[in-house]
Parts: sequence; C-alpha cells; structure tokens
Amino acid sequence: MISVRLKVFGPLRDVLHESELLLAVPPPYTGESAFRVLASRYPELDQWKPSLRLAVNLTYVSLDHSLQAGDEISFIPPVSGG
Amino acid sequence: MVSVLSTPIDVSKIIAGIITPQSGGTDLFIGTVRNHSRGRRVRQLEYSAYVSMAEKMMAEIELEIRHQWVVHEVALVHRIGMLAIGDVAVVTAVSAAHRDQAFQANRYAIDRVKSVVPIWKQEHYEEGLAWVVGQHDLDMGGK
Repeated sequence: MISVRLKVFGPLRDVLHESELLLAVPPPYTGESAFRVLASRYPELDQWKPSLRLAVNLTYVSLDHSLQAGDEISFIPPVSGG
Repeated sequence: MVSVLSTPIDVSKIIAGIITPQSGGTDLFIGTVRNHSRGRRVRQLEYSAYVSMAEKMMAEIELEIRHQWVVHEVALVHRIGMLAIGDVAVVTAVSAAHRDQAFQANRYAIDRVKSVVPIWKQEHYEEGLAWVVGQHDLDMGGK
C-alpha cells in the first residue's frame, strides 16, 4: 500500500462529507486503484465516475497514471466556474 | 496576472494593470451573478475552488494564449465565496496592439476558464440549493 492525500471538492463533498483524507492505495498504485478503494467505501461514487477527471499534484492526468507515496490527488467533478 | 480571490474584484484596477503604452485594443469580459437559472429564481451563488490548482491552470491558460496570439497582458481573475445578484464573479481581459488579437484571445480565455479551471458553483434558491454540474473540456489534460 502507498498513502496519498486526497482532496475533495464541489459536489463530491456532499458524497464524502470530508474535504481531505489520507487514502491507502493498493497495487498497481494507479488513479484507478485509488478510485476503487474510495468507491468501495462510498458506493455513490460509482455514478460519478464517467464525469470525474483525475488531478495529481495539481495537474490533470489519465486514470491509469501511476501514483507515488505522498502525492496530492483529487477526483475533479465537472467544473462550473464563470 | 491570474488569481482566485475571496474579496470583491476591482475591475478598474485590472484594466489599469493590463493596458500598456504599446496597446491599441483591450478586450474585457465581466461575468456577473444573474437572478435566474434553468427556470429557477436564484438568490445568491456560492463559488468554491481548488485554489492552488485553479491558479496553476489559469497560469497555463495565459501561456496557451501567448502561444497562439500576440498579446501584451492577460488578466484572469475569479472570485470565490458567497456572491449576491449582480456581483462580479469572473473577469478576463487581454490587451494587444490591435483589437482582433484581443477579441480572439479573450474569447478563448473565458471559454477555457469555464471548462478547465477547478471552480464550482452552488445555486441558492428561495427553497434550497443545487450544485451546477458543468462539462469538462476533454481536449486537454486527462485522456
């Protein structure tokens, strides 16, 4: 397991009821692995999956991106600024 | 100049900050809070952001603009927190030697801000509230 810092924003705050948490990610340590761990804890997340984008250390990356211990990650819901 | 602010946006200060002696045309977009959305009466809007990433994305948008157009200064400013009807939520502005560059670059600026910058709004109505679920711009970043 590696540990990453998960930041939670926008409508996902209503699902997780947290703004930040430490997440233990199992092999193969990708964004997808992190999502699966989270969705097992918060089943409502599955319906959000098609609309989420992964950000790692403030940059959008694909879901198969390899995570490193200590990364700051976030599953970004559809943005609505402006 | 890019920033996410939790205080009111000073539009005239932004304009003064981007017009240079070389500039012949400056385009300014001001996004304000309107009193209706999808048939419902809006009382106020609450904006929140992933501030560190939002400012990084806005800086990237400025670089994208500078790669595509010859411009002098670019300002991208978004306010967060609880906003009332008529409040300025976002300002984008571009100065250039000629208006065509300024118009085109600024249109791109506001469209990109709305589609990739991690900012969210929640509408507060007479009776309750709802998140506005926008659309990601899938052309960039995450594949």
